[in-house]
Amino acid sequence: MCEAAGGVMSGHEHLAQALAACGRDGFTGELRITGTPGGTFHFGDGRVVAVESPGAPGPEALLLRSGRVSGEQWAELVRESGGSRWPATALIAHGYAGAAQLRVVCALALHDAAFAMAAGRVEDCERRATAEPFAQVPLGEPPLRLLQDAIRRLTALAALPHPVHPDRERPVPSGTDNGSGALRRELLTHADGRSTARDLAFRVGRGVYTVTVEVARMLEEGLLVCAGPATPIAVRSLPDGDELRPRTPTPVEQLPSPTRTDLPRRKPGSFFRLRNGMPK
Amino acid sequence: MDHQALALEMRGLREQVTGITDTAVAAADGLLIAADTADSIDPEGLAALAAAGLGLARRTAGATARGALRRTVTYGSHGCAAFYAVGDTALMVVLGDEGMDVDHLHRATQPTLNRIGSILTDKATEKAPEGV
Repeated sequence: MCEAAGGVMSGHEHLAQALAACGRDGFTGELRITGTPGGTFHFGDGRVVAVESPGAPGPEALLLRSGRVSGEQWAELVRESGGSRWPATALIAHGYAGAAQLRVVCALALHDAAFAMAAGRVEDCERRATAEPFAQVPLGEPPLRLLQDAIRRLTALAALPHPVHPDRERPVPSGTDNGSGALRRELLTHADGRSTARDLAFRVGRGVYTVTVEVARMLEEGLLVCAGPATPIAVRSLPDGDELRPRTPTPVEQLPSPTRTDLPRRKPGSFFRLRNGMPK
Repeated sequence: MDHQALALEMRGLREQVTGITDTAVAAADGLLIAADTADSIDPEGLAALAAAGLGLARRTAGATARGALRRTVTYGSHGCAAFYAVGDTALMVVLGDEGMDVDHLHRATQPTLNRIGSILTDKATEKAPEGV
């Protein structure tokens, strides 16, 4: 059996206070959350315009992992956008996504990252003012409404018959049922006993909340089971009788100092002789 | 060398930094010592690549007067591979997905590298059975 998701997650109050203060002050800049997974809330005039967290795939990961855009195409779009972190205009111009689709992807990613941080451990919140916010949604969300949405999701997850935490259980497939639906099939393919719901979300390019709920349902239905103790790490004996030899430093080859040499001097008429075969 | 302590350090780092998918420790010449990797990764080949990559980076740092090499990181669209030297005798590989905070990884890795260095050079500890 998997360990049930705990009740109220730690650090909620601290996070709620910091978010409320940013909204009240009409803050523009970053609110950096240290903890696990931690992340950053980006504010524009007191509203949350982007959220980034190692705990949830961002819009870039969602687009790349879903196969909508290849890595090479993304690199080209970033170059075309002058190195922009979020080349939205180029994505639309090249037809990789519509403007409405991008807005939906960004809004989903924003809520998902807030959920991941609320589900984790919050140690500290630190503001960093910036002139221009990193914005992925045009209008932005009121910060407390965003947090309330994350808590509502956590409560819904905890109420499932087999609740899981996004960053704890590492399930493996059970039985021979291949599952119905593309997401379930992908989760069964990638659940290797090493990956949490968060890891699987990155792997399949879907939101961490969506994947966590699906993993919980699949555990309940017996399609997945929680892996037992982690596979032991095989450690080999050291070479040369338990002693490592220091690396032999390779002497750095000094480039020959450039000596000034005259360029070959053109001989007048050489080209003409070459073309016409005239004697010297 | 305390095999159990090395395994605990590798697993502890994976649990400490969100997004780490695989870790490995190898001798400086690329001979694999321990791997906590998915089945899709060839740990022996990875260790050899890390040794070659660190060697090339060290020579590049020397040839360009960039000082002592700290690490090499290869970034891809689906994540990154970081190679760290463990003293002068070994190396550590950390693979992470695109969500991993690489700055956090570098901070978290420093004490781990020191402890792994001590574990690898500690001759006093009695060997634990393999596969801890």
